Amino acid sequence: MKCRVCRGPAVIDVPRHNANFCVAHFVEQCERQVVKAINAFDMIAPGDKVLVAVSGGKDSLALWDLLIRLGYHAEGLYLGLGIGEYSDESGSYARKFALERGLVLHQIELRDSFGYDIPTAAARTRRVPCSACGLSKRHLFDRAAHDLGADVVATGHNLDDEAAVLFGNVLRWQTDYLARQAPVLPAGNGFPRKVKPLVRLSEREMAAYCIVSGIDYQVEECPMVAGNNHLSYKETLNAVEARSPGTKHDFYFGFLDRAAAALRAGMVSGPDGLVSCQRCGAPASSEICAFCRLLERVEGHQPDGPISVAVPVQIGPRR
Amino acid sequence: MVRLLNELGVTRESVLVVRNGELVPGDAQLEDGDEVEVRPVISGGAA
Repeated sequence: MKCRVCRGPAVIDVPRHNANFCVAHFVEQCERQVVKAINAFDMIAPGDKVLVAVSGGKDSLALWDLLIRLGYHAEGLYLGLGIGEYSDESGSYARKFALERGLVLHQIELRDSFGYDIPTAAARTRRVPCSACGLSKRHLFDRAAHDLGADVVATGHNLDDEAAVLFGNVLRWQTDYLARQAPVLPAGNGFPRKVKPLVRLSEREMAAYCIVSGIDYQVEECPMVAGNNHLSYKETLNAVEARSPGTKHDFYFGFLDRAAAALRAGMVSGPDGLVSCQRCGAPASSEICAFCRLLERVEGHQPDGPISVAVPVQIGPRR
Repeated sequence: MVRLLNELGVTRESVLVVRNGELVPGDAQLEDGDEVEVRPVISGGAA
């Protein structure tokens, strides 16, 4: 196999582009796809401070690396979920990445600062762990962005993630969720802008990007997601993709081009009418926000001191 | 390598193959003595 650009030996094939790439041109290709996504959806403006939600996995570390390569001011935020050895390991990958590159990483440990962890929350709420995990992440990333003065929160959702979410929502015709699925959620009502710059890149490309860029990441899967529907949707889509390369891209971007606007126009309820949570001040649809209700159920607490990132750990000099 | 993936029953979209520490493309010939890692790339967090 030869690189499409330089005809040198290729290290990866990307069937949906009908192309193979050497290391240097694969990295260029990834950069180009991120730039294309950022520009197409007005994700990040010049001078914006970006807070990258970092898990220690391939997508978030690749995203952080790509944003830095492209010259953005991007700091990381790691949320310690308290999922045993899995979390210990994920945190060390995030810290190692930041330390080696002299980047700023902020940390929040759920157990230390809020008195609970995800396994406990799942047990107390009797819901799947991903539910409490997602709620905690959304609330704390928003709150940290506010406290740290970040303009935008960037997450490592890739094409496979977005196609799988879309697939799940279509299977059940969850039109409210479909109307909200977008690569950018604009700022407003007290929420920061949220962007997904990796939507034009597949999960396999992100893992490859990490390998060729020398990024050590946590390969091990979160032990709490085993058997969830999201994984089975990805497997299903990959089986189709193997027979018909480009299907995932067409499915997701076809939705954005042809269906998303119509669904948004028909949205029954919008984000208007939000109030400030009486306990933490976050924008909420009722007097007490969903996160504070979760804290109550898990017998957690707000951190001591000002409402801010609870344990900001700055590693390395500011770039 | 294609034969290896077929034998393992995995689709090319869901794995990468690393030979002797280096990423290799789909048509790579694997030799006796090669250290080969078939690395899954699918992660499941839906949050």
